Amino acid sequence: MASGQIINPIEIKQGTGQNLVIRWQGEHESIYASGMLRKNCRCAGCVDEWTGKKLIQADQIAVDVHPLEIQGVGRYGIRINWSDGHNTGIYSFKYLREICPCELCQKSQESDLP
Amino acid sequence: MLQITEEKILEALKTVKDPDLHRDIVSLGFVKNIKIQNGNIKFDIELTTPACPVKEQLKAECETKIKNLSGVSNVEVSMTSQVRSRPEFGTSQVLPQVRNIVAIASGKGGVGKSTVTANLALALAKTGAKVGLLDCDIYGPSMPLMFGLVGRQPDITPEQKIIPLTAHGISLMSIGFLSSEKTPVIWRGPMVHQILQQFLTRVEWGELDYLMLDLPPGTGDAQLTLTQTAAISGAVIVTTPQEVSLIDARKGLQMFEKVNVPVLGLIENMSYYACSDCGKVVEIFKRGGGERMSRELGVPLLGEIPIDPEIVQTGDQGTPIVIAKPDSQTAKIYQMIAGAVAAQLSITYMQGSATTPIDLKWQAGKS
Repeated sequence: MASGQIINPIEIKQGTGQNLVIRWQGEHESIYASGMLRKNCRCAGCVDEWTGKKLIQADQIAVDVHPLEIQGVGRYGIRINWSDGHNTGIYSFKYLREICPCELCQKSQESDLP
Repeated sequence: MLQITEEKILEALKTVKDPDLHRDIVSLGFVKNIKIQNGNIKFDIELTTPACPVKEQLKAECETKIKNLSGVSNVEVSMTSQVRSRPEFGTSQVLPQVRNIVAIASGKGGVGKSTVTANLALALAKTGAKVGLLDCDIYGPSMPLMFGLVGRQPDITPEQKIIPLTAHGISLMSIGFLSSEKTPVIWRGPMVHQILQQFLTRVEWGELDYLMLDLPPGTGDAQLTLTQTAAISGAVIVTTPQEVSLIDARKGLQMFEKVNVPVLGLIENMSYYACSDCGKVVEIFKRGGGERMSRELGVPLLGEIPIDPEIVQTGDQGTPIVIAKPDSQTAKIYQMIAGAVAAQLSITYMQGSATTPIDLKWQAGKS
């Protein structure tokens, strides 16, 4: 493949306590809390497409929000059908990998800052 | 005299390498049905595609290697093939009976993408593969003309499925077959999305080895819908040698990267003109742009197609050059490119860069 490295999940499954678990190619594992994923939805209804401004506030999201169903989108991401009826967001694998909340990934993101 | 055994045959065949996959044919599992009768040896080589570009070379190499073993008097090698499938084959909701979906794209219009797609599809079919072609260019469908099917309409089953038309051994579907006074001239985004989704979900293709998608030029709504709806196996980008075309081809490549579709390679169309009378080669748009870009971007150059008046003529008459003039130099180049596309697909699957379909039902009350 060309320049950009392809980011692929090996396994996507429901973890404990409403967590979504993704095991990536290269053996890294990411655990996402449902609420955190819902808040980080990047669809045009949740984030302004031009300015990038968040249009949805954290307190507008139900605390017990969780997926009902998760489906693949083409080869590059997933679409989550949420318990609150929201379903327009596509979470690309690249984006999901970027927002991995594990300590190691968060730390490396901080060190990337100028 | 030493008795020839299966082990000895396999040992000898282990020295035969598939030049594309960089592994020996025994560990790739290509060797099948070894039969030994005294000194007579028979076996099959099962390739990953009937369009394998090195089929004859592999066959000859196998024959030589076995003939050289002591105790062998006669060798018979049969070349067979079992087309490798994308991981979604059989399970995905969209196009489950299609083993490989190949998108043919270009960054800009006018590079001859439809002509290339038509001839590539036919070249693959000529190797014995089952091929379908979906003309996704809703703005300017050209497949009805190229296959001599202008004015024809597909049949619709009682279940409201569309039966594709057939020509020269391949199945075809195009918005051009559905044209009526009601077909819009101007396509709004949501309409593009809807018609392409119908094309992907409501056409009865049957089982196919390769479905070629002729994409409209550019990087917009149509491309997005297709890459979101179907798990595309790989994309081929058609360009011409001019700089303007190359810049746009690069954009196309970036688009496929964004949606995780492997780019199988570039095809440079209108590379040069070879005079049919004197054989002199004229490089009308400068040469080597495709090659340079392939090096820069790290994707293979699958082939260079010359400007050939017969390509246009045969296409306009409904019989593309691969069928109309199978012995022409241009048809041979197409045949070679078809082999290269099929080989790149096999390589992609071998590298495991494809994913399995995702369909996860969340379980309530799991803690």
